[in-house]
Amino acid sequence: MPEPALRLTGLEKHYGATTAVAGIDLTVGHGEFVTLLGPSGCGKTTTLALIAGFVPPSAGEIYLKGRSVADLPAFRRDIGVVFQDYALFPHMTAGENVAFGLRMRKVAPVDIARRVGEALDLVQLKGLGERRPLQLSGGQRQRVALARALVINPTVLLLDEPLSNLDLKLREEMRVEIVSIQRRLGITTVFVTHDQGEALVMSDRVAVMNAGRIEQIGRPADIYERPATRFVAEFIGRMNLFAGTVTDARSVRTASGVEISLPVPREIPVGANVSIAVRPERARVTSERTARGLALAGTVRQVFYLGATREYRVDLEGGERGLVETPNDGSDARFASGDTVWLTASFDDCRLIEGGIPRGRP
Amino acid sequence: MSVRRAFNRWRATAAPWAVLRAFVVFVYVFSLGPILITAAVSFNATNRSFFPPRGFSLRWWERAFAPEWVDPLLFSLKLGSLTAVVATALALPLAFALYRYRFRGRQALIALTLGPLMMPTLVTGVGLLQLFQQLGWREQLGFTGLLVGHVVICMPFAVRTVSVSLQTLPPNVELAAASLGATRIATLRWVVLPLVKTGVVAGGVFAFIHSFTDVNLSIFLARPGETPITVRILGFLEFGFAPTLAAVSVITLIVPLALVAVVERVSGLGDFIYGERRRA
Amino acid sequence: MPMAMARARKSIPPLLIVALPAAVLLAFFVVPNLLLLSASFLKSEAQQLTTQPTLDNYRFLLTRPLYLEVFARTFTVGIAVGVLDLLLGFPLAYFLVRTKSRWKGLLIALSLAPLLASVVVRTYGWYIILNRFGFANDVLLGLGVIGERIAFMPSTGAIIIGLAHALLPYAVLTIMGSLNGINPHFESAAMSLGADRMRTFLYVLLPLCLPGIAGGFLLVFSIAISAYATPAILGGPATQVAATAIYNFIIQLLDWSLGAALAVILIAATLLLLYGAGRLGERRATL
Repeated sequence: MPEPALRLTGLEKHYGATTAVAGIDLTVGHGEFVTLLGPSGCGKTTTLALIAGFVPPSAGEIYLKGRSVADLPAFRRDIGVVFQDYALFPHMTAGENVAFGLRMRKVAPVDIARRVGEALDLVQLKGLGERRPLQLSGGQRQRVALARALVINPTVLLLDEPLSNLDLKLREEMRVEIVSIQRRLGITTVFVTHDQGEALVMSDRVAVMNAGRIEQIGRPADIYERPATRFVAEFIGRMNLFAGTVTDARSVRTASGVEISLPVPREIPVGANVSIAVRPERARVTSERTARGLALAGTVRQVFYLGATREYRVDLEGGERGLVETPNDGSDARFASGDTVWLTASFDDCRLIEGGIPRGRP
Repeated sequence: MSVRRAFNRWRATAAPWAVLRAFVVFVYVFSLGPILITAAVSFNATNRSFFPPRGFSLRWWERAFAPEWVDPLLFSLKLGSLTAVVATALALPLAFALYRYRFRGRQALIALTLGPLMMPTLVTGVGLLQLFQQLGWREQLGFTGLLVGHVVICMPFAVRTVSVSLQTLPPNVELAAASLGATRIATLRWVVLPLVKTGVVAGGVFAFIHSFTDVNLSIFLARPGETPITVRILGFLEFGFAPTLAAVSVITLIVPLALVAVVERVSGLGDFIYGERRRA
Repeated sequence: MPMAMARARKSIPPLLIVALPAAVLLAFFVVPNLLLLSASFLKSEAQQLTTQPTLDNYRFLLTRPLYLEVFARTFTVGIAVGVLDLLLGFPLAYFLVRTKSRWKGLLIALSLAPLLASVVVRTYGWYIILNRFGFANDVLLGLGVIGERIAFMPSTGAIIIGLAHALLPYAVLTIMGSLNGINPHFESAAMSLGADRMRTFLYVLLPLCLPGIAGGFLLVFSIAISAYATPAILGGPATQVAATAIYNFIIQLLDWSLGAALAVILIAATLLLLYGAGRLGERRATL
């Protein structure tokens, strides 16, 4: 079996008493696009720096194509990095920037010229090789940074929030472009971001990180539809989380005391505190209780019109709050503030996640 | 992890920084060593400037407080303080005008202000000596001559720091004051001056230190009886290097050090270090 | 800058505001320098300045071997001190800019602290170390490196060491100013592209902080060539530099013509350097 492109085992990084990375295990296959997603401070950028070799690990191993590289400095690892601020060398032209890695690898000048041309073509900057970074726009600089990292054909391409400094429109364009380039070249990629929209759109797999650990890793659909922990459920998209206690293998008691028949996953023991997770777009507001599925009684507090959707914010019996998102089909809102309603969802759209919500949460 | 692995990892990743650190330690030793050696020498029990000091004695420190040393020290303190005040007082209108107005000759004024900074102080000293002699102001050499010379070479520092300070003024603060009914003078008094206070203080401190530690200009403008401490020490160095000199030298180091420490605590000097030293 | 306001209100003419300080500078800075300039073109007789114009002063200074030697020594000292301070100062500046230690502020202050001591004080320490019965000799004798005491001073070498020590903070400050503006990611990027530390330094770091390095060198050089106290203490009557020669002419020989001429040569050299430094700075600014 061929070695994976990148493998991290038990990777840790401590700065004195602070732990930035608390133990990461990750395997990335050839040509895969994996995103490290998480809030600031979760350790994703540190993990990237560890893979790149900018920072030595406190413990653990890093394998690139099966070869242990944790003892190697950055310039001996076969990686390409795109920084958040692009880090283009201001005293070189765009072409010279892209050529730098090839120069370091002692590629023949003729080949350098050809490959730089190809790389600039690839990122749609043909003909701009003679410009200096200062003369380029933000989007153009980003492409040069990408070309510079790609031209050396690294084993792994590492991108550290490269789109954060671009405006929205450009960001969305670049997302698509980066993915298409990555697919075309088949280059293994690790992408770091805090923007979950980006992660879902671009990745083959997403690793959601929190406090130095990977909480869940999987395909975007898996992460979104079947979050494994409360953190992941709340971090990706918006999620309703209703507190409950497992009473037996097929029922859960909600905060308001109502027993619901809900299939309980085998791993969760009886008596455990759980959160019933329902995506707002899967939930509905109804005037009558549905026969089957989740149904929670409450009062509409606010209705928001967002153009493509409508949002209902519902105060539930038992003190919790629910959020329901309905597509705008052109009709008027069926409910108004103050109406007594039921927040409903089919059981297929509910997930049980272990770990209740602490009392007093707003 | 085996010891060998750990060493290899350290060598690949952390070693370069460790080498740099070691070199930096060496540079600090080079830089601070002679000063510390001077301090140590002052405690010698014998009459010679031995290092490491032989024996321990405070008698050279006692001598350092004798009139023959205290007088020049007080002279330097007085000179430095007055220089600071005068230089800063002259610098304020200069800095303010340069900051606020565009006028013909602005560039020339800037060149004039920075001139003493660019010119070797030695030359300024020689020139002033010649001026005083040609004007027949022989008697004015000594305190007055030194004051004039010191003010000239210290003014640029004060102008620099006050300018830096002025540049940190929020742009519309004067307009705001005017819209609230403040006259020109009132604006100056209640709005501008308080805000440039740190610049003024920093300027005064740098001026004092520059005056207190100056040698090149002072050797030309001093007179017997009216000699700054640095010139006095220099004079004695020709005769030998008694440990008393070491003690006196340490005192001349402590004065500016203490001043900087106090001012840094009270109003902060950090921003002005770069601004002050950045050359054209 | 609130320019609109300056025009809108009736302004006190700026020239009035700066009258006093400008007058002080004119009278006590410009005039003395002009006097010096004029004296350098006048003949001196019996220790008195005459009103006879002449170029002999310059001719004398620029042809006599003794003074050519002084120029050569001054120039050599300047270069050596500049280079030495770059070699010592760059690593220190780099360390201070990149270190993440919580003592960073203290370390920077410590590197600048020597500036608070008068040059005399700093040089005194070197006397103690370098003189025939001093510390350096003791150590070398003790280690068996030398057989008998060497007089390290007075000498040009001692002057170089003393000045390099005294002027190091200037180099460090200037280089730090330049390094501060360089994004640390540049070095990471270079390393990620395969450049080891030496090549990262040569191809990325050095070109970008060249203005700071050049500026630091020129600053140190220009102060070194006009230094008086250190050469006076660590050099001797046999190892004169420009500054000590000027002092000699004016205070001891009372020869204003030659003293002034030498001073003018010194000024000319300094101004030329600063002009060159300014041009270097300009060219880099169009990066």
